[in-house]
Amino acid sequence: MEIFLVKVFTEGKKVVDKTFFVKESFPSSFGKAFLLKKRFVLKEKNLNDFYRTTDILNRPMTRLMVPHPGHFSALKEIIEAKELEEGLEEVEEVFMGGSPEVMGSGRGVLHAPLIDEIREQTEYAHQHDIKMNIVMNSTCLGGHHLTFEGYKMFKWYFSELNKADVDGVIVAEPYLVELLRDFPMKTIVSVLSYVDAPQRAKFFEDLGADVITVDTNINRHFPLLRAIVKAVNCDVRVIVNEGCLYRCPFRYFHYNLASHLSSLNQPRSPLFAPDFYFDKCINIRLRDPTQIIKSPWIRPEDVKEYEAIGIKSFKLSGRTKTVNWIIECMKAYSHRSFKGNLLELLDCPQMLRFVFYVDNGKLEGSIEQWKNCKKICNECGYCDKLTQEVLTSIK
Amino acid sequence: MKEEISEGRKKLEEELRHLIGNIFVPEAKVFGMVCGCTGFAADLRGLQYDDVDVFREKISAVLEEISKSVGVEPEFVYARKLPGSEEVVTLTARELCERCKKEFAGSKASPRPDIVVLKKK
Repeated sequence: MEIFLVKVFTEGKKVVDKTFFVKESFPSSFGKAFLLKKRFVLKEKNLNDFYRTTDILNRPMTRLMVPHPGHFSALKEIIEAKELEEGLEEVEEVFMGGSPEVMGSGRGVLHAPLIDEIREQTEYAHQHDIKMNIVMNSTCLGGHHLTFEGYKMFKWYFSELNKADVDGVIVAEPYLVELLRDFPMKTIVSVLSYVDAPQRAKFFEDLGADVITVDTNINRHFPLLRAIVKAVNCDVRVIVNEGCLYRCPFRYFHYNLASHLSSLNQPRSPLFAPDFYFDKCINIRLRDPTQIIKSPWIRPEDVKEYEAIGIKSFKLSGRTKTVNWIIECMKAYSHRSFKGNLLELLDCPQMLRFVFYVDNGKLEGSIEQWKNCKKICNECGYCDKLTQEVLTSIK
Repeated sequence: MKEEISEGRKKLEEELRHLIGNIFVPEAKVFGMVCGCTGFAADLRGLQYDDVDVFREKISAVLEEISKSVGVEPEFVYARKLPGSEEVVTLTARELCERCKKEFAGSKASPRPDIVVLKKK
């Protein structure tokens, strides 16, 4: 079965509904309702219910969420690039950081948009049929959220985001997931909630998640991904271009530090090594480049393998990167094709692209191994061998 | 070269003090990046985005002059704000490599929200 977007209905500048054309047959539970029309109007929420009920895995409705650095001119340029080129229809959402005065996030904050600016940018995005999400995925709030002052502040901020017509809020802290139930905006569970098992996914769904971004550590654990998709009714999303170390020992601590440094809740004394974890991460890879291959990135060409197990929602990482880099990544992942050094597409750590060349073409087929990999690296050696074949040092 | 960098630092500080007020330039340097870009950069304290916006032309001209004096062609001149604030912490004139002509300086928008483009050749 295939479903195509036919028409977008608007009231003023706001998208209120969409018409979808359904080709071929329908499952019986929906057959009576839709078979006669063959063309029907559904609100997106109902369409999602339809998908869930019918368990359709081959629908061409993959969605790509792309990073937005935060300044309005960048949003305009990203949307312009999307609209100018064919084949970028999957780009449906953008995300940007919220106000560091409210809370930090997992990345450095380069821009601190006030509510008015968020409203203005959201309106512009909606005019172009793009959804706007705000990232508030700090992993450490220092307990502030559990004070009355903190509770009131978050409640107020969510309410303002809602009034600004924001579509979704990306949070990591379970308390905030629950708090967002009071608002119609989508609750998007961050990758920093480290959802790496069906049980954990179910916990977050029960708390109110509409979308769960799974821990990138399980990007190549297909049985787990399949099980998570099966366990929950909400959308399951994977990040495709994060280049973090597989099972990184610094991950939790690095994001906790980033959460504080990107907020007003700063350490009291200056840090002697503000980039300690990042420096360690780079050094490890310079000494052992196999770690680059073991990182759980997903090649643009391999996105289809995830669609085949029911994952339709993909996220590009990189909101602290330059506009043109974001646009190039958006194109590569939308077209499912990239020629050259794969490190050009990875959000973090970007500097390795100047040191190593990873031939994306030579990685063709490696996903077959990773899909079935037991992840017992010391017994396997596949990635060591692959590294020798695909990775070269740049002179 | 050492003299030119020191002179450049002093000149920039003097010009900014003349234009705006109590601005401090603790450090100036000439740099070379892995991608191939080279540049002149000055760290600053006391400067805000509003000041840069008002004196955009003048600040850019001073930076271009200093940049040329240290052998760097000022193809892309920009100020960097402290992320999420209006404090300007660095002024840079950069001679761009082929990659950065496209990736860093090739967008109509500023490449990142903390970068204020003063001049683009």
